[in-house]
Amino acid sequence: MFIDVKPLDPQQLKTWLTAAGKRDATAFRHLYDATSSKLFGFALRILNKRELAEEVLQESFVAIWNNAATYQSHLAAPMTWMATIVRNKAFDHLRRSDVSVEIDAEQFDSEIMNALQDPQRTPIEALQLSGDAKALAWCMSALEGLHRQTVALAFYHDLSHSEVAEHLKLPVGTVKTWIRRSLEKLRTCLAKREQV
Amino acid sequence: MNIRNNVVLRQKLAAEYVLGTLRGGARRRFEGWMHNDADLRNIAAAWQQRLAPMAEFAGDVVPPRSVWTGIERRLNLKGAAASGLKAWFSESLTFWRSLGVVSTGLAAMLLVLVLSKTGVESPSINYVATLTDDKAQNALLVTADRSNRALDVRVITSAQVAADKSLHLWAVPKAGKPRSLGVLAGNRGRFELKDSAISDDVTVLAITLEPKGGSPDPNGPTGPILYKGNWVRL
Repeated sequence: MFIDVKPLDPQQLKTWLTAAGKRDATAFRHLYDATSSKLFGFALRILNKRELAEEVLQESFVAIWNNAATYQSHLAAPMTWMATIVRNKAFDHLRRSDVSVEIDAEQFDSEIMNALQDPQRTPIEALQLSGDAKALAWCMSALEGLHRQTVALAFYHDLSHSEVAEHLKLPVGTVKTWIRRSLEKLRTCLAKREQV
Repeated sequence: MNIRNNVVLRQKLAAEYVLGTLRGGARRRFEGWMHNDADLRNIAAAWQQRLAPMAEFAGDVVPPRSVWTGIERRLNLKGAAASGLKAWFSESLTFWRSLGVVSTGLAAMLLVLVLSKTGVESPSINYVATLTDDKAQNALLVTADRSNRALDVRVITSAQVAADKSLHLWAVPKAGKPRSLGVLAGNRGRFELKDSAISDDVTVLAITLEPKGGSPDPNGPTGPILYKGNWVRL
C-alpha cells in the first residue's frame, strides 16, 4: 500500500518559501500542497478537535505567508520553521480558549510508534518522513519507551514537568531527570548521525 | 546569575526552553538572556531544529479544501492588487486582538537593559513597546520621550532586511487606518514624536516590510506585518 510520494525535499521547500516571501502566490500554493497534510496531522494531534485544527492550520499559513520574507534558512529547515509556527499557534489557541484537551495515550502515529519501539520490524527508512524526522526517529528509538513518552508529552501538549509527572503517575524528580537525560542523548545521537 | 560560561547549563536551558518545560520566571529570564547573547539564540535555534521534526511523527492527515480557500480569502491571494490594504488590515486586527498583554513585562525589562547602557543622556521615557515576530521573538524596541518629542527605534534582531526593502513603523489605532511614524534607514531610528503616535486610541505599534523608502501608499501599509507589539504607557 505504498503510495509513491516524494519525501519533502528541504531544498524545494526553501525555494517555495523564499518565493512566497516575495509575494509569489503560486509558490505559496505549492508549499501548502506539499506540507499541509503533515502540518494538519500535527495540529490535529495537539488539539484533538478537527474544527480547531483547521482554524489553527489556516492561521498558521496566513502567518507563514506574512512572515516568509523573514525566514532565515541558516537557522531552521523550512519544515522546522513551519512546524514551530503551527505548534505556537496551537498552544496559543489552547491557552486562550481555555478548552481542556483530551490527551491520547499515544502522541504519534501508530506506524511510527511501532518503528520507534522496534525499528527491526518496522524500518524507519521506509516511513514517509523528511530526512530530519528520520534522524530524530532513529535517535528516539534508542530511548527507553517511558523516557520517550515524557519528551513526547511535553512537546505535543505543552506540559510542564509536574504535569507530565501527574499524567504518567510518576514522581516529578524522575520526570525531570528522564527529560534532561533524554535531551542530552538526543543531542549526542543526532550529532553522531550528522557526522556519518 | 551568569550562564555565559556554563556550557552545560546553556544547553540544558535552551533544550527545555524549546521543549516547553522551562516555565515561569526561569523562562522569562532565559528570554532576557537571549536578547544580548547571539550564541544563546543560536543554541536555542539548534534545539528547535533538533526537536521540531517530532511534528512529523503525528502522521499525515489531509485537511479539507475549505482550509485553503479560507487562506486564499484572508490573504486576498486572488485579487491581491485590488484591495490589499483592506485584507491586510482585517488580518492584522485578528492578530493584534490575540496579542494580549504578555509582552508588557518583557518590554519593561528590555527598557532597563537599554537604559543601563545609555545612562549618560538619560532621556525620560513615557512609552515603550517591544515588537516581536510571529514566533514571539523580540525584534525591535521603541521608546517615546514626550518632553523631547522624540521617538526612538532600535533593531534588536539579527534578521536582515533585503537591500530593496525598508522597515516601516506604524501606530495602529483601535479604529481607522494605521498612522505612519517613520521609515527605518538602519538599525537605529530617531523620529519626531507626533501626537497621533501617542493618542489614547493607539495601543499597538507594528512594522511592515515595504519597498525601499517606505510604503508607496500615503494612506497606509502595503506589505506584510513583520513585527508588532503593545504600546505601553509608563
